[in-house]
Amino acid sequence: MIAPAEVNIYLPKLAVLDRVEDEISEVKTFYWHFQDPAEQESFRRFRPGQFAQVSLFGTGEFPASLPPSPTEDETFFTIRQVGSCTAALHALRPGDIFGVRGPYGNGFPMEEYHGRNLVFVAGGIGLIPLRSCIIYALTHRDRYGCIQVFYGAKTPQELLYVRNLRDWERSAGVECHLTVDRPAGDWAGNVGVVGSLFKKPGGQVAVENATAFVCGPPVMFRFVIKDLLAMGFAERNIVSTLERYMKCGVGKCGHCCIGVAYVCVDGPVFTYEQIQRLGEDI
Amino acid sequence: MKARLIRRDDLLKLVDLLRHRGYEVLAPFCDRGRDTYFDTVTAENRDRVQIHLPNPYYPPKRFVLPAMERLLRVRQTNGSFVLEPTCEAPRRAIFGIRSCDVAGVHHLDRFYLGREFRDPYYAQRRQAVLLVNLVCTDPERDINDECFCVCADTGPAAHDHFDLQLMDLGEGEFMAVAGTSAGEALLAETLFERCTAAHVEKRRAILTEVRKRFKVATSWFTATVRYISQGSILERTWEEIGNRCLECGGCTYVCPACTCFTVTDRRVGPDEIERVRIWDACALGGFTRMAGGHNPRKAVHDRRNRRFFRKLAHYFIQRELSMACVGCGRCTAVCHGDVGMPSVVEMIRRATAPEEKLEPVKENPQP
Repeated sequence: MIAPAEVNIYLPKLAVLDRVEDEISEVKTFYWHFQDPAEQESFRRFRPGQFAQVSLFGTGEFPASLPPSPTEDETFFTIRQVGSCTAALHALRPGDIFGVRGPYGNGFPMEEYHGRNLVFVAGGIGLIPLRSCIIYALTHRDRYGCIQVFYGAKTPQELLYVRNLRDWERSAGVECHLTVDRPAGDWAGNVGVVGSLFKKPGGQVAVENATAFVCGPPVMFRFVIKDLLAMGFAERNIVSTLERYMKCGVGKCGHCCIGVAYVCVDGPVFTYEQIQRLGEDI
Repeated sequence: MKARLIRRDDLLKLVDLLRHRGYEVLAPFCDRGRDTYFDTVTAENRDRVQIHLPNPYYPPKRFVLPAMERLLRVRQTNGSFVLEPTCEAPRRAIFGIRSCDVAGVHHLDRFYLGREFRDPYYAQRRQAVLLVNLVCTDPERDINDECFCVCADTGPAAHDHFDLQLMDLGEGEFMAVAGTSAGEALLAETLFERCTAAHVEKRRAILTEVRKRFKVATSWFTATVRYISQGSILERTWEEIGNRCLECGGCTYVCPACTCFTVTDRRVGPDEIERVRIWDACALGGFTRMAGGHNPRKAVHDRRNRRFFRKLAHYFIQRELSMACVGCGRCTAVCHGDVGMPSVVEMIRRATAPEEKLEPVKENPQP
């Protein structure tokens, strides 16, 4: 037994799967809650951009972004099926039990962005960690300046969180620009990479007094960073959230360490300026 | 620190005393051949405990951080799970732990307990462990060809972080120094005798002599820390180091200061699962590989770079207030490609030190 005085940082808490919603191919959203209401209450004080360790007993544990905003009522994960743990999660049915530890990581410093324009640039499932931040900013709309979302996916069917995208497109409080690599069906929107949105009429990025949030596949990341720097964004005003193989989430197992930073405790949110100074390629 | 004397003939009585107090005493042994190892002292093997011998390949790290350890026992019942954290923390005394390995345990203390998230498993096991340090004084038996504790400033006599330190003064006498209150309590035993200023002087003289008997002098350690921290080491140098790495992970498994682990679940019964943590090594290709196959540190030289960066970058030394290399030389002893710490420091020195560009001044011919 672990002495009562010690907090067991490796002990997951039991969670119940409430329902599962299909998002896009191989990606589902899992709504869940902790068995212990007190645990649920304390967990819900997480910050946008933090993550949790999800336990599938008998298979293992994996780190997962927290897509909900702490201002929302429900807790959920949006997970693509890629490895054994995510496959085990995808196999769960409502009512099944799994484990969650967290929240971990630094998260986005939302207070630092007060009064600033927020520019979100996401590709594919890169929208998952940014969703929390976007919803949070929209809930506290008066604290932030102009809010823009630039989001791209391979096809219209691959766009995540369609419900939210529709809301954002209709909402006066946020500019939402969508694009796909390959159009299909009745897609009438933009076709091309995310960066192509910046050149469209009406897609003018608010550069002055703005912070840009970039998350997506490595290729997209590189090109978007290039675009943003060319527009005049300072490196410290470009923010991203990194992903790494992790075993512990609390700075011990060593797997996620890039250069001088443990992604799990020093990140996963880093400014582009910090990323440049890590001392290792991301 | 308080010092007393103990007779060489009484050292085993100290082992007996600790065993009598309920400690599992781990001490170094040597069978036929060169290989030495730490093992539990029993009534049967007690007389074969060694005082002077080459430091075992496997450091006593495993007594505070086992190579494999169960974190949780998970039982499946009626569609739910019962999670039971398990931790074995036997009362242990490591008798004859060398100074480098004392520094290794201290590094683990700093790493696992010194920061925001305390590791409860490590904390509990470490709390039950007593360290009886032995100073390396015999140049023939204690000091291996690979030892470089003098450069890492961890030996031959540990400055602190032991409970009790023993040092051979010759003529059948050992000086005993207490590093903690537990050590001081031991010094009060009748086994120990009074020591004089002359003994303290003798200890100093012996240490001065012993320091000259080390064969590997990696005096470029500090410069290498600087080069690594400044990022001034060429990619080509890392590639050369990487080319010599066989990716066996041996350096990590014998390192007294390596901390990385992986966690895995395994089924141990029809309704029972164990979650265990196992030492892991950054030399291995799968260390950073993510589900889906993407591996940000795919090239072997990137992984070698990682090991030495993590151990020598100023940032981490400051972060832990302890360096993740203690100068034991084991990585040199096990590495087939000769890219243990001293060799790497030397390779970096040769490749990175600014070349001397001397230009002889031309004397003007007399008018």
